[in-house]
Amino acid sequence: MPGALPAPDPDGVATWRGTTVRFPHQRRDAVGPVTLDLAAGEHLLLLGPSGVGKSTLLDTLTGLIPNVIPATVGGSVTALGIAADSRTPAGWAQHIARHFQDADQTLCGMRVDDEVAFALENQGLPAEAIHQRVATAMRDVGIDEAWRGRRTTTLSGGERQLVALAATLAQASRVLLVDEPTSHLAPLAASRLHQLLMTRAPGRSVLIVDHRLDGLIAAIDRVAVLGPDGSIMAEGPPAALFRTHAARIDAAGVWRPLASHLDTALATQGVAPPQPPVSVADVVTHLKALGDAEKALARQALMPLVAAALPRVPTPALAGREIVVRLSGADCAPFLGPVVLRNVDLAVARGEFLGILGANGAGKSTLGLSLAGLVRLKGGARDGAPGGVAFQNPENQFVTGSVREEIEAALAVRGTEASQPETADTVLAGWGLGHAASQHPFELSHGQKRRLALATLTAGGRWPLLVLDEPMAGLDAAATAALALRIEALAASGHAIALITHDMDLALRLCRRCVVVGEGAILADAPTAEVMADAALLARAGLAPPVFKPVLDWFGEAAA
Amino acid sequence: MSVRLSDHLLQFRLNQLHPLPKLIVCLIWLVAAIAVFDAHFQLVTIVLAAAALVLFNRSSFWLVLGLMVPFALFGVGFLTTSILFRDGSDFAVKMAAEAPFVSEGVSAGVVLFLRAIACGMVSALFTLTTDPGDLVKALMKDWRLSPRIGYALFSALNLVPDLASEAQQIRLARAMKRGGLPRRIPGLVEGFSLMLPLLTFAIRRASRAAIAMEARGLTGHGTRTILGAPVLAWRDLVFAGSALALLAAACTLAWMLR
Repeated sequence: MPGALPAPDPDGVATWRGTTVRFPHQRRDAVGPVTLDLAAGEHLLLLGPSGVGKSTLLDTLTGLIPNVIPATVGGSVTALGIAADSRTPAGWAQHIARHFQDADQTLCGMRVDDEVAFALENQGLPAEAIHQRVATAMRDVGIDEAWRGRRTTTLSGGERQLVALAATLAQASRVLLVDEPTSHLAPLAASRLHQLLMTRAPGRSVLIVDHRLDGLIAAIDRVAVLGPDGSIMAEGPPAALFRTHAARIDAAGVWRPLASHLDTALATQGVAPPQPPVSVADVVTHLKALGDAEKALARQALMPLVAAALPRVPTPALAGREIVVRLSGADCAPFLGPVVLRNVDLAVARGEFLGILGANGAGKSTLGLSLAGLVRLKGGARDGAPGGVAFQNPENQFVTGSVREEIEAALAVRGTEASQPETADTVLAGWGLGHAASQHPFELSHGQKRRLALATLTAGGRWPLLVLDEPMAGLDAAATAALALRIEALAASGHAIALITHDMDLALRLCRRCVVVGEGAILADAPTAEVMADAALLARAGLAPPVFKPVLDWFGEAAA
Repeated sequence: MSVRLSDHLLQFRLNQLHPLPKLIVCLIWLVAAIAVFDAHFQLVTIVLAAAALVLFNRSSFWLVLGLMVPFALFGVGFLTTSILFRDGSDFAVKMAAEAPFVSEGVSAGVVLFLRAIACGMVSALFTLTTDPGDLVKALMKDWRLSPRIGYALFSALNLVPDLASEAQQIRLARAMKRGGLPRRIPGLVEGFSLMLPLLTFAIRRASRAAIAMEARGLTGHGTRTILGAPVLAWRDLVFAGSALALLAAACTLAWMLR
């Protein structure tokens, strides 16, 4: 019987022993050597810089590598007591549910209810049981019943991610492998998903890869960190691991939760909590219990973090600012689609940093395209020069065969520098892409693609307005920090920037002003601090306050 | 009674039909369109298919007319070939000898032209009124099609709308670089320039879909539940009976007018 497996090994649901993976025609291993275990009922978080092989490691557990994706696997990989490559991925599906980093890899392009039911149909479960599980999964994840008949390809990126998660959870498997499940989700949806994934189920083991750590760590038993060399550089319970290995983790460009950053900062003044904190709430509780002298030290210790959490780009004086683009009574619709936002009045000034916030599918990208003048308004008017857009999928922007040609094409539009190869070289070097000049744009890493997209937008110097659609999604800590600095520099150089993001802390840090999109209209257009302080507005729009907000609140109270 | 019948007709939609009887009817009609070499029959086929789309699929009249354009362009090729090289198409000329057009060559060309449109419209009728998921489920449940082949077919059927969606994104990005708005319908040059990126997308999409289905347990063997497969109803019998009766009437008309 192909579905029958031995009883779970009590010492390890999944084990990697000296595992290496090398893809054909590559000179070095994509990951490893890795030695790692996942125990029955354990919640394990796998961290590591982008491109270090986290997803590859997960692929070995279901036999996807090497049975479907050819590669040489060294060492051993066992799942539920038997060699992982002894079965096909389909053979493992009943026992191991896999959520891929890209929702399109989990979904098959069906209608929403068919997608959620697909794995259960493949298991041959009774129809009634499938109906029940589909309904439960959709309700738990927060999928609207009205979506049932919609094809997943017609949903927004975040909505597709929700459906992919519902499909994964509906399988109710003994092992759950989840790869960046919340990268495109609005804060409230991300928080709900973390809770769902981390709810203990008898005997269910979860291996999760995620960059969004705050709110997740409390439910994690153990963290394993893959270093830049592809092997495990640190492993242990989360709070203690982040305290002990903070410097090494930062050096590797890996995300740490905010609580850990606060802990490290407080330690510099000798006022860190006795036990390493798991959440920001732990830190704030500790801060409130400090005496006056210690509070002063804590304020001093946290000052650099507070400064880094707030906008650094100076705001041009309000009076006399040049308006780069203005929408008046605009009815915004996607290309060849129906109106999603009505009666939008919005202006963006030169040098301004505007945040566009909202739930998944609220119409943020459509507003961005309308601001840039890339889609026709169905009503109202737009005044201003065209804007440039960094799309969610940067690959859509690349039209040539190499990185250098992309830059040269952007410069050629300006009409002077195309014949001067050193100019393209200068641009490439400035964006840290000099070494990749001859590569095809599709061969770059995710972070490099984002940098190239921005480089092509800015190299021509054509657009006074830049619309950046989720520019940090899927990037590691180092890449995010570097890109944030570049975006700040663009604003400082006079570009008006509209930043579409689900990362409320990023919006708090970069944007002086935010618009909140929801219910088919602009719900708010106000200074970022006001938006972030309005809990009712945020809840109505499916958003949540920045993770850093409780610290800022304490800072204000302590100052008073 | 007549009021109730008209109510039923008003509420009837072609997408409510079971895909398999509809497929059989369309295939039979396509065979007839190829076999009956008569302009009247082809005209009746075109009018019936167009009317069915407008009345029972609520398709706009202009959309239906627009649908005929590519088939008409294809048919023009037959028309010109027949006129210019009529000596080489003895069978068609012989079959069209009694057709009411100026010359034998023109008659044969006109029938071939109309046949291209008629076959296209019957195909469009099936495609526009059939959900690919329902078709695949019906094929797997009623005709025992292997799930692997069924879902491969499903991916292929869905590729066209997916390519259109991807093309929109690429066209937006290119329009931005060009410094203007994208045209509603891409021109010839733009269309050709989209082919390579769309081919790349299609290959990636196919491999991703294959991996997604494999990772979620799709195999070619074992028991598999099929949820929501279409169920045969009286309306399918009524539809098939009516369609075949119309087909017989059209054939008779063609025979009588020869």
